[in-house]
Amino acid sequence: MRTRPIPLSRLLAGDGDPALRVAFGRHGERTRRDLVRDVSALAARTAAVGTGRWLLFTADSYAMAVGLLALACGRSLAVLPPNRQPETLRRLADGAVGALVDGDVAQLAGLPALSPLAAGPTGVGARATLDRDAPLAEFRTSGTTGEGQPVQKALRHLEDELAVLEERLGSLLPGDTRVFATASHQHIYGLLFRVLWPLATGRAFQTETLLHTQELLPRLRACESAALVTTPVHLKRLAASADLRALRGICRAVFSSGGPLDPTTAAAVAEGLGAAPIEILGSTETGGIAIRRRHLDGDVWQPLPGVEIRRRDADARLEVTSPFVSVGDDAGGGRTRALLGDRIDLAPGGGFLLQGRADRVVKVGEKRLSLPEMERALGEHPGAEEAALLVLEHAGERRVHAVVAPSPLGQELLAREGRRALRAALAQHLALRFDPVLLPRAWRFVDALPRDAQDKLPQSALRALFADRATSRPTAPKLVAEERLADGLVRCLEVPGDLAQLEGHFEAFPLVPGVVQLGWVLAAAAAWLGGPPLLVGLEALKFPEPLRPGCRVTLELRRSADGRLLRFRIRGERSEHASGRAILAEAAVPGAT
Amino acid sequence: MEALEEEIKQLIIEALVLEDVTAAEIEPDAALFVEGLGLDSIDALELAMALEERYGVKIGDDPEQNRQIFASVRALAAFVSEHRP
Repeated sequence: MRTRPIPLSRLLAGDGDPALRVAFGRHGERTRRDLVRDVSALAARTAAVGTGRWLLFTADSYAMAVGLLALACGRSLAVLPPNRQPETLRRLADGAVGALVDGDVAQLAGLPALSPLAAGPTGVGARATLDRDAPLAEFRTSGTTGEGQPVQKALRHLEDELAVLEERLGSLLPGDTRVFATASHQHIYGLLFRVLWPLATGRAFQTETLLHTQELLPRLRACESAALVTTPVHLKRLAASADLRALRGICRAVFSSGGPLDPTTAAAVAEGLGAAPIEILGSTETGGIAIRRRHLDGDVWQPLPGVEIRRRDADARLEVTSPFVSVGDDAGGGRTRALLGDRIDLAPGGGFLLQGRADRVVKVGEKRLSLPEMERALGEHPGAEEAALLVLEHAGERRVHAVVAPSPLGQELLAREGRRALRAALAQHLALRFDPVLLPRAWRFVDALPRDAQDKLPQSALRALFADRATSRPTAPKLVAEERLADGLVRCLEVPGDLAQLEGHFEAFPLVPGVVQLGWVLAAAAAWLGGPPLLVGLEALKFPEPLRPGCRVTLELRRSADGRLLRFRIRGERSEHASGRAILAEAAVPGAT
Repeated sequence: MEALEEEIKQLIIEALVLEDVTAAEIEPDAALFVEGLGLDSIDALELAMALEERYGVKIGDDPEQNRQIFASVRALAAFVSEHRP
């Protein structure tokens, strides 16, 4: 049975059933009664240390909820670090009175540290209605100016968005829906969707972040009704490695946010689950803006209730006005207007399409990065004069790529100890401040950045510096010509110089392994027969002469009179590389192509 | 086991398109994540997929166990050797 949603400000006011389950996980189940008790206890302990800015960083989502609410009771501000990099924590510790963090930590970044769930004397337990206008949480993000910006949310910003989420999406999730997540609650998306929205609406949430399909699937399957709060990277893996049909009727909604969800994954999820993923467009500054379900909306984003969008004529940039925006100009009636870096086109019916960014803020692995900020950070390092960054595909994922003009010191290090040393030094410098997934995966060191006549850095010039990398070596020979015969097939093949299977075979004398040549024979047989042949065995196999890369060869395949044997040969102009016979299970009959 | 370790080093380099490192330079006992090779969470997912494709091993559901499995090339080879079908 659905409980009525409780506004965030009244979560501690004693409304609702105290036995209601709010969270579940490794440490068991927590009820609303537990929450109120734990919040009271923590509020007393934090008050004893001081009121003001507190860092809040937990692995456990229930601890996050307790921490956030306890600080709100004490009128303190919860500062949520986006990552645990030492430099990030050090900067955020400035001006803070304490830290709330899981585990036994006496100190964090020089601050007194408390564990949100440690046992302590029970607080007064006063029923509290929290102040809607009091600052509740501060996030940190990269903004368009390039410096990490603090973004504060008053309780009302979150409370109002939760009401709208429930209004727009609540009907998808029955009251007993259990909420699981791969997304972190240190960011606004995770905090809202996996902790606060369930909390406000009486749905229970998983306390641990489950990143592995093998962890997630059985737990989802064990539910009557479940929802998943995730991001494109994880959803892609989930769709690729699991049979989502096992979750039909169980997983009612999959939320994805943090970056573009590729249409293939979206379709795969829709097909498997029987329900399309719900993409959320939003930002830390603006809160939620719009949602999209590709099978219903195509590429068009539909604004959430209460969100007004406008396209700025001058540069097509998106302007958002809503009660959830916390950084921008006052638009009256409790709403704020913000201008985003995204360019849009308006669609009929009130929706819009994204058309790329006007600034250089990118998303990699769902983390936001201001490229100018990282470029500046690189420039600060004594080994680098200047740097230019771009995002390119690398091993199947979008990654940051760096082009660096080393300083004289850097050049010296390069000469003395090689690329690896300079790259390690620069990466270590960046690792102090940026999340690991944002660190550049490929580096090019140049004498000077490739500026053009107008002193600009064309993307094409930067991209060209990475064109030398073979991200995928060919794994098959090049088919130059083919002739179909009545009793067989003749193919003219060219062995690529960088054939993948040459790797390590052999360092000083690369040659195509015999088994690889056999693979080519079988591929030719499959092409001729219209499907892979069922083999009983191979006989008279010979590999008389090594097949070197760069050679052109002829592959001949002939069926014996009775159709049971396929004789094959791979030969060069004056050489024989492979020969033998494949014994077929059934007489070969060439199939229609 | 040594041959498997070599294979796995190659797999890591190929699957993750690692530049500036050859198989010979990867110490079998060196850390793979954060330190050592400096791989991250996205790499972990990519690697798990590549291992499953190549060896048919599914990386388990225990994060503690995974920390041990992915601790080094040696640990990974031991895991693959034990669990490949």
